[in-house]
Amino acid sequence: MDAKTQKYDRQLRLWGNSGQDALESAHILLINATAVGCEILKNLVLPGIGQFTVVDQGTVTQNDIGSNFFLDYESLGKSRAERACGLLGELNEDVKGHWVAKDILTVLKENPGYLAQFSMVIASDITRETAEKIAALCWVNGHDANANPGSSSPAGKKRTAFVWVKTVGLVGAPRIAVPEHAIVETHPDNVADLRIDTPFPELSEYAKSFNFETQDGLEFGHIPYVAILLKYMEEWKQAHGGKIPSTYAEKNQLKANIRSGMRSADDENFEEAINSVLRSCQPTVVPSAIKELFSDSKCENLTAESSNFWILTRAVRDFVNDDSKSSGLLPLSGTIPDMKAQTDSYVTLQSIYKTKAKQDVQEVSKNVESLLESLGLAPGSISLQEIESFCKYSAFLKVIRYRSLEDEYRQPKTNNIASWLSDPDSVFPHYVLLRASDSFYDDHGRYPGEGENWEDDVDQLQANVNTLLQSWGIEGNTISKDLTHEICRYGNGSIHNIASFIGGVVSQEIIKLITHQYIPMDNTFIFDGARSVSAVFAV
Amino acid sequence: MVDTQAIADNERWSGVYKLLDRNSLIHPEFEPQEEIKEFIKSCKILVIGAGGLGCEILKNLALSGFSDIHVIDMDTIDVSNLNRQFLFRRADVGKPKAVTAATFINKRVQGVNVTPHYCKIQDKDEEFYQEFALIICGLDSIEARRWMNATLVGMRDEVNPDTIKPLIDGGTEGFKGQARVIIPGMTSCYECSMDMLSKPTGFPLCTIANTPRLPEHCIEWASVLEWPNKHGDRKMDTDDPKDIQWLYETALARAKQYNIQGVTYSLTQGVVKNIIPAIAATNAIIAASCCNEALKIATTCAKNLNNYMMYSGNDSVYTYTFEHQRKEDCPVCSNSATKLDFNGEKTLEEFMDYLKEKPDVQLKKPSFSLGGKPLYMQAPKQLEEALRPNLAKPLKELFSNGDEIVITDLTLPFSMQVVITLI
Repeated sequence: MDAKTQKYDRQLRLWGNSGQDALESAHILLINATAVGCEILKNLVLPGIGQFTVVDQGTVTQNDIGSNFFLDYESLGKSRAERACGLLGELNEDVKGHWVAKDILTVLKENPGYLAQFSMVIASDITRETAEKIAALCWVNGHDANANPGSSSPAGKKRTAFVWVKTVGLVGAPRIAVPEHAIVETHPDNVADLRIDTPFPELSEYAKSFNFETQDGLEFGHIPYVAILLKYMEEWKQAHGGKIPSTYAEKNQLKANIRSGMRSADDENFEEAINSVLRSCQPTVVPSAIKELFSDSKCENLTAESSNFWILTRAVRDFVNDDSKSSGLLPLSGTIPDMKAQTDSYVTLQSIYKTKAKQDVQEVSKNVESLLESLGLAPGSISLQEIESFCKYSAFLKVIRYRSLEDEYRQPKTNNIASWLSDPDSVFPHYVLLRASDSFYDDHGRYPGEGENWEDDVDQLQANVNTLLQSWGIEGNTISKDLTHEICRYGNGSIHNIASFIGGVVSQEIIKLITHQYIPMDNTFIFDGARSVSAVFAV
Repeated sequence: MVDTQAIADNERWSGVYKLLDRNSLIHPEFEPQEEIKEFIKSCKILVIGAGGLGCEILKNLALSGFSDIHVIDMDTIDVSNLNRQFLFRRADVGKPKAVTAATFINKRVQGVNVTPHYCKIQDKDEEFYQEFALIICGLDSIEARRWMNATLVGMRDEVNPDTIKPLIDGGTEGFKGQARVIIPGMTSCYECSMDMLSKPTGFPLCTIANTPRLPEHCIEWASVLEWPNKHGDRKMDTDDPKDIQWLYETALARAKQYNIQGVTYSLTQGVVKNIIPAIAATNAIIAASCCNEALKIATTCAKNLNNYMMYSGNDSVYTYTFEHQRKEDCPVCSNSATKLDFNGEKTLEEFMDYLKEKPDVQLKKPSFSLGGKPLYMQAPKQLEEALRPNLAKPLKELFSNGDEIVITDLTLPFSMQVVITLI
């Protein structure tokens, strides 16, 4: 095992080499070396992102070193960007760090295309005005691309996701914005797809090969539960006009039928079959979320610019629509769970599922090739490995289309907001308070509660809250003044524990976005550290 | 030398001090006082574990204003720690974690004094634990958590509030984790929640020996059955790449023989070392949550977590905060005996195996006694040999319905009273 595999062993078990390759080709921009910003980078430098850049024009103060672990006493008075870059860089010799001691707006004035070189832009301690500006620039970069994970994206296929992080006292709220994020490896808990209700011919043959009358107790006790289920399901179908059990009573009856075949209470294989009845009586169909992807315009209207994800979605759709090849079902995952069985019968069953899955992959591959040809793309430009993985997880594909910051501000989801506010335990009031704090800043050039006479700001902030609520058509005092008072108490202060908590959450989300594995949140996470509760809202 | 006097405390700690200087209308019980700031500077706080969670916890406590911090860890630094244990560098591999972590924090954060203890938690006595205002655990072992929990619960003396030691416990696996607050005598304790754990992983011996199906079965065969066959008394060293390589090759050969696919070096290592995937991000979340609670408990600036928060990042971000209830018959924090039904025809050995696997019991080497008389003892050797025949006897011959038996285990600082009903 090489040195890098040793160092990264504990994370490779989560995202594998493909995820690691994606991380190592990422370049992340951090705007402002705040406590939360440096905590995010810490959690990304450690697992080995390729490069990071810190842009910050400030110099290190006492307040910085009180809450930021990557600025120390020696740093006082020096450039925040330089010192943070240095102390973060020490964490991993394989990561390259850069720094720019300028304000981001100055950088953008000098080079309007500056952001396009980054896979991800993270900003904290910026005003709403600056956030909107950066978000708009990233949004344009993100639009013409949905980078294919693992492969280095060709020139012109840049994607820049934007994360804006707010932390105020005991509250933290990161917001993700990227036009479209597609995931193949969503890591569902269970990908087994056994097709007990609609067995393919080879599977039916297999089930019939077992002798349920055998006098050999060992043999009987090792009939795989899949074969048991198939036998009893087949008998059920013959007695019920080809239908599988659908009601609760019918499912219980099937369980009872299986139980009646047991010879002793120790027949674990029968127990396994009984425990799988409910799942097996779920008819195998194309999930509605996947049908939606099939009718998506990006699937319908492929172009030479289409990402592999959409080309593959189309190839699978064409496969599903060809009833003679797929019986109208998705490609088989080819994975089976462990079960009580003799080695031979288990390995045979495994290979029956694997062979069928391979056949499905071959059919999908043919579709991929003809699509590539019709689009004028190079044959073989989507690897067999990628097609296999896509087929295996095809029931769990996921596409997230985030709302832009512009839409959040210009076209507020007033119905949702009203409903989120109607739950008395919700953390959503903090979203409103942070938005109102931005308005407060617009009015006063500072955030609520920053000064000595902090309680004087409560009424003003409450007025900002009410204005915001009215703009959404929400009447009445939905936000308690005690909570407004609490935000003024925090006085825009940076608490390290909250910075570290939010830093952890954001870095998990960034890893998910970069590796295209697991499912990132959509789109705003709110944590209330006073109550230790959180929620996600698609604002 | 840095002049710590020169540090402008108020500016440096302005974020935390706003919380401590200002009143709260959502938590009106809180009264700001200067003494609270003095208290966090002077109180002693103990961190158990200087690994993934421990490194984060030490950093967070230092940057919350705590300055008398102790840390216990018996481990040395391994190269696979470096992807998350950010106080360690490649040159530190092989050094004690507690010492290296303490040195780093003391150098980075002015005015903080972290005292390392390079030893096992079991090496310290109650007098040692009595010195701390609160204890934070960042461990990856159930056994160590049970020991710590039982020790702290056992130290509680109802008439002396100083003996109540809040325990904050964190744990992670992959993108998931949990943080909880245990206040002995008031909240549920670690032992109360043992049934939330999944069954200890392990495969039946007959599967490993006769009907392997998974690559894991072949690896278990190599390590459990073939190793003692081929190496006699030499104990396997799972940190030695040569031993792992031997297990890998042995498992691979068996897998080939049975047409089983998927035995790799990495899987072999994962199975024999019971490796849990771990990343910096999740450790950061859980450690920060623990320290947020520590600051709240030490200062009362906000209500502390009551008493459990789960975190999952696999699919979106999801947290669930709830009050875990005390278990009425908890062997650690209650006085009542646990009730258990068991088939009287089964042997004491079968009963013992059942207790080893039962998630809320999970004993390693249990000993049994009835009315002060030993039924089976793991040690000393002579007693074990004398009582061994009892293992083969059915329960109904050893005791009668409703008997209260006492079960002890060398790894645990408490005994379980079990009232058994024979069925």
